[in-house]
Amino acid sequence: MSEVAANLSEGTSKTVKQLGRFIVPLSLMLLVGTATLLQPSFLSVNNVQDILTQAAPLALVVLGQAFVILVRGLDLSVASLMASAAVLATAFNATSDAMIPVIFLITIAASAGVGLINGLLVTKRNVSPFLATLAMMIVLQGIRFYYTQGAPSGSLPEGFRILGAGRIAGIPVNMLVFFFFFCILGWLLHKSSFGRKIYITGGNPKSANLVGIQADRVTIVCYVICSVMAGIAGLFLVGFVGTVDNWVGRGYELDAIVACVLGGIMLTGGKGTLWGAATGALILTLIFNIVIILGLPVQAQLIIKGIIIIFVAGLFSRSI
Amino acid sequence: MTYSKSRYLVRRLQLDPSLIIVILLLSIVVISGFVLSDRFGTMRNFMNVLEQSSGLGFASIGQAMVVIVGGIDLSIGAVVTASTIFMAAVVDLHPGLMIPMIFGTLLFGAMIGFCNGYIAMKTGVHPLIVTLGTASILNGSVLIYTLQPTGGVPYWFEEFAYGRIWNVPISGLVMLSCFALIWLFLRYFQTGRAFYAVGGSPEAARLSGIQSNRVILLAYSASGFFAALAGVYFVSRTGVGDPRIGDPITLASITPVILGGLILGGGKGNILGVLLGVILISLLSNLLNYMNISTFVQWVIQGVIIIIAVSVYVHKGKKL
Amino acid sequence: MIRLDGISKIFPGVKSLDKVSFESVSGEVHALLGENGAGKSTLIKTISGAYIPDEGTIYFDGQKRKWSSPKEARDAGIHIIYQELVLFHELSVAENIFIGEAPLTRFGTIDYKAMYERADETLDRLGHHIDVQALLKSLSVADQQMVEIAKALVGQTKLLVLDEPTAVISGREAELLFERVKLLRDEGVCIIYISHRLEEIFSIADRVTVLKDGQLIGTRNIEELDRDQLVGMMVGRELKDIFPPKRIPSLEASRPVLTVRNLCAPPKVKDVSFDLYAGEILGIAGLVGAGRSEVAHAVFGSMPRSSGTVTLGSEDFNTPSPRESINRGLGFLTEDRKGEGLMMLLDTSANISAPALQEFTTATGLDRAHEIQVAKDEIDRFRIAVPGPESDVSKLSGGNQQKVLFGRWTRACRRVLILDEPTRGIDVGAKVEIYEIIRQLANDGLGILLISSELAEIVGLCTRVLVMRDGLITGEVEGSQIIEEAIMKYAIAKRESLALDIARH
Repeated sequence: MSEVAANLSEGTSKTVKQLGRFIVPLSLMLLVGTATLLQPSFLSVNNVQDILTQAAPLALVVLGQAFVILVRGLDLSVASLMASAAVLATAFNATSDAMIPVIFLITIAASAGVGLINGLLVTKRNVSPFLATLAMMIVLQGIRFYYTQGAPSGSLPEGFRILGAGRIAGIPVNMLVFFFFFCILGWLLHKSSFGRKIYITGGNPKSANLVGIQADRVTIVCYVICSVMAGIAGLFLVGFVGTVDNWVGRGYELDAIVACVLGGIMLTGGKGTLWGAATGALILTLIFNIVIILGLPVQAQLIIKGIIIIFVAGLFSRSI
Repeated sequence: MTYSKSRYLVRRLQLDPSLIIVILLLSIVVISGFVLSDRFGTMRNFMNVLEQSSGLGFASIGQAMVVIVGGIDLSIGAVVTASTIFMAAVVDLHPGLMIPMIFGTLLFGAMIGFCNGYIAMKTGVHPLIVTLGTASILNGSVLIYTLQPTGGVPYWFEEFAYGRIWNVPISGLVMLSCFALIWLFLRYFQTGRAFYAVGGSPEAARLSGIQSNRVILLAYSASGFFAALAGVYFVSRTGVGDPRIGDPITLASITPVILGGLILGGGKGNILGVLLGVILISLLSNLLNYMNISTFVQWVIQGVIIIIAVSVYVHKGKKL
Repeated sequence: MIRLDGISKIFPGVKSLDKVSFESVSGEVHALLGENGAGKSTLIKTISGAYIPDEGTIYFDGQKRKWSSPKEARDAGIHIIYQELVLFHELSVAENIFIGEAPLTRFGTIDYKAMYERADETLDRLGHHIDVQALLKSLSVADQQMVEIAKALVGQTKLLVLDEPTAVISGREAELLFERVKLLRDEGVCIIYISHRLEEIFSIADRVTVLKDGQLIGTRNIEELDRDQLVGMMVGRELKDIFPPKRIPSLEASRPVLTVRNLCAPPKVKDVSFDLYAGEILGIAGLVGAGRSEVAHAVFGSMPRSSGTVTLGSEDFNTPSPRESINRGLGFLTEDRKGEGLMMLLDTSANISAPALQEFTTATGLDRAHEIQVAKDEIDRFRIAVPGPESDVSKLSGGNQQKVLFGRWTRACRRVLILDEPTRGIDVGAKVEIYEIIRQLANDGLGILLISSELAEIVGLCTRVLVMRDGLITGEVEGSQIIEEAIMKYAIAKRESLALDIARH
């Protein structure tokens, strides 16, 4: 494409870009407003607590997915990894809460391994992220089902319930954990020099190499971050749901991508903020909540999700 | 100099190393089948495999056409599901509409495919996202309509899936004819050749005076059409519309395409390679069943095969 | 044959063509000349129907025409050979020749047999033999270009446009191309030939039209012009005002900052040796594809070396990587500003600091204030026209973008700065500024390796010039010997005949 044509699309997209900047907080406010009108108790402490508890596991996955998308990737294996992490956690049949840190460490290590393989396939073998993580999703699923023979049986320490659904001073525990990771990863992405390397790599991998940044290494680290966050999210989700099954987190891979797109992270890489991604996760959870408030069948969530993903992606795609 | 068609074919096979890979894998499966199981190598078994592979075959033809023009269709599973419900529900109410409904369902699929192509073209959103969106909308609508298998078709309609002509399954014959027709189309028609041109370089295709938009719309419509045909096949097989039947088809339809030597990003590949891919996958799972290897392990094997297939040839450009 | 009347085309922020009128008749080769960004490409795309002009009319074959797609222009008999060939790598040669208009059987299917035979005939007419059943990707670039020309022969082509056809092929192949073009001209085809290589223009063109900054400068018969006049038309000012005075460093007094011995980096670099001294501007000239950029990449470590040694001052440098190069004080401004240079999504300061991130890293993260201050300094130093360090680089003009890259590399770079086509695609005013910057950097003691396809640039700036061909250094010229003819002689070394005649012209 010629320079001129590029300029052309740049020019027409200017207004869209301006619109894009405000659309995230604006739609968030709009959603909260609508929900409160429909159901005055929407903003009650209880309901807000519920929504946040619900949003946290998705938001954790979204944090990781954002890193991968920023380096021009995509991770479809996150949901499968969440369920695998949940199954792995039950494998120890632990009853004592003292085992919780051990379970977390093992899950994190195993997830990091998965992320490493994803990253290596994408960078060193040049496999498209879509296919690499798709294959990883199927492989994890197979291993998980093979191990459980279709029906997970192990148990988890009681403490998981508190992690997944408990509250400290009225604030959901999992939201606190999310906040903790949000701060750490937010610092990493927006304040550290590694974060800059992520944006440089995502924006232009060739130049990244030429200014002495090892783009492959940066990309691999992003996949590892994504997988680790998915593993952790799996543990919190299983704590929230209360029971382990082979499909914990089903559909989260798409929800995470949708949340990122909603939050203004460009699928072509190099642009978007963690703040936006987190807001995207919150918006998505709110939409799901409103569907329930309206008394619509749960499945209507799927339809609404489909419509917004096309619409919002359309809004942002012209500003690439 | 004179040119014979057969000479061209031979050259083409020699030049395309990815076809050799499928053929190699296929021979390994067949030979080990003969060695490992006495039931595998019978004509009867091969005919059964042909019959069972039809659904996957139909879905893969559509996927292949979209992949050749440089896209991807992740709504295939949802279209399959929606088609089975649409057909079974309507025919259940009006059994007299059986025959028209076959065409009605195919038209329905083609229309959804057309929408996918149209939205992707008009908004510039990556087809991955667009088709995920339509998949979500379709699945949501179907699940609101019913959570259980529903509807029904006249008993005789199972002939399409199970019937035999001279011992050859009708569904298999239809699938083989579809492959043959599409092969002829892609090879001997200007529009067919344009598929490769558009997939190879959209800008060059435009400058060559090819109406890329039409080609892209045609490809997506065909994808929807063949997904609906797979739906019709499943209705014939199960006698009902099933809101979950299409779930595994989307990803399953990609594997033969990749194995058959097409590349995501488009412009390359022979549809007959996809047929070989379909047969390979079906024979493999048939053989593994005979060897009493669980579905779960088969998933792992499938994932590993995708990874191997895509990393054997390092592609020049990384695309989603 | 074709007449454009007062054509304007406006893009946001740029008037790419401003009331340009142009005319060309059948049986002539009409050269279209201008610097990068002069509006040549836009004009061509207007003729081809790829752009719809905002103003003005097109007459073709005596009729007023308004094309809404390239297809219409094509059907009317206009064939364009773009610099980036419009070909499909996974289709056969014959299919490429007949793309969209293959011979059909009576069933409406493609008649491959007839297609192969007709493709053979067409290539025969060009006197060029290629296996028409081979996939296009197996062909050399020159052969691929012949396929493009064959495409033009198939249709009833009345107007053939060649957009910088020699940019990607060697001298020998260019000769062949010129023969074919003249053949077509004699058959009555109207040919518009775009190039910025003056030598070619004098050899092949009958008339020449010059564009500058989107405006028509004039149309002349080629006999009426000499080289200098033509350059004057293109550049709009005299050569001596463009380049800063040379200053030749005393090579005996200084040790080389960069020594390269027997460097090989297959397939493009075969055995290259040279020295670069502090304060020197060493040019590398040669045709496109001679391996110049690859030498730069191999020295910088962004392309693997197979053998040879590189020494920086007295330090060995044999474990190359871009990171290591940057740490040792090398800088590399690549030829592809957008693809390999700038990060378009980031602001100016981030683009400047990119190779030296560790300098801004503190315990609490990236020191943004320091980064912005540094960017401000560079903006002032190079007089970059940008609102501030936090403005997007994507909105800057080509010249200013290039200056941002100079800001980036001169900060990181203490010893050697490699410049690959540093003035590609920027206007003359910006060029003059860049030349001054380069001169100043050399005066400050950097060793500068300058790769350029614009011979005028090499001649105007360099104190010593290496000439490459086919991955080898075929010659070195110094001081007063640095003239275009001498450089061209080595660039096409041993290949006599036409290409050399061009140089003598």
